[in-house]
Amino acid sequence: MKGVGTVRTSAIRQALILITLAFLPTLGEAIYFRNKVSWQSRLSASEVVSVDQVQRWGDNVMWTDARPAAEFEHDHIPGAILLNEDSWNELLPLFLEQWSPDKRVVVYCSAQSCNASAEVARRLREEAQLKDNQGKNCVFVLEGGWEEWLKTR
Amino acid sequence: MDFSLRSVLYRIVALIVGGIFIYAGVIKVMDPIGFARDIDNYHMLPWVISVRLAFYLPWLEIFCGLAVLCGLFYRGGLLILNALISIFIIASIVAKARGLDITCGCFGQASKNLSFAWHLTLDFVLLACVIFLWLSDRRQSQPGAASGALALQGSHGVNKKL
Repeated sequence: MKGVGTVRTSAIRQALILITLAFLPTLGEAIYFRNKVSWQSRLSASEVVSVDQVQRWGDNVMWTDARPAAEFEHDHIPGAILLNEDSWNELLPLFLEQWSPDKRVVVYCSAQSCNASAEVARRLREEAQLKDNQGKNCVFVLEGGWEEWLKTR
Repeated sequence: MDFSLRSVLYRIVALIVGGIFIYAGVIKVMDPIGFARDIDNYHMLPWVISVRLAFYLPWLEIFCGLAVLCGLFYRGGLLILNALISIFIIASIVAKARGLDITCGCFGQASKNLSFAWHLTLDFVLLACVIFLWLSDRRQSQPGAASGALALQGSHGVNKKL
């Protein structure tokens, strides 16, 4: 009787078996997604840019501020446009009015540890489907965010 | 409570809990990157761990849900689910206390619009159900009573009688 064996096995032993079993499909899925996931950082290296790099790009850059509106109004990178997740639906049309495929979008939030810029950049790529004239990615996240930009001002 | 009524209730709760975790797991298996972002939004683990957990946890949920549903490795499944829900409740409260605007990610995109209060209520209800199943099974697994898969089979027999 299979059930009697189950009853006798301790809960911890059963849990360990389940924990081990779950690794098998995980491994298969991880192999399937191996080239689609950034394993070391939330953003892949090609999606992050430094302040120096953006300055080398010249004028065809559209700074995008993903911080809350109050912080944007207090101070922001000259020429930056506000686009945060709090007012996404209202701000996105204003953003798209000013964007053109020849412009590179650089999104920033408060500091290295914030996620807002990564989320806004992701939504611009996936929802608004922003791409440059060659169909390549044109949305980047500023490494270090606003804090990093202040150091170079 | 009448034994047969208790058995039927026990069976229904097991079906609901198992079904919920299988559903939650399958949804997340289909979008591991989205789930990795949801874990990362808690700001508790580095990305390298978040992304690996995002691949592993949904499968663990599915296996535990199946265990509760089928009765095989039943108590082990309940033990893990208990731990998972408890950790999640603590993580949610800590994240909220730190002022983070988090999405629980429990059911992928389907849970994006759930408020924090609803997340927490759902988790506490699930925790109560898992504890109920654990205690019921413990009571029934005492000498002279069936346990785990046997208890479920027993309740099934009761259903037929009813």
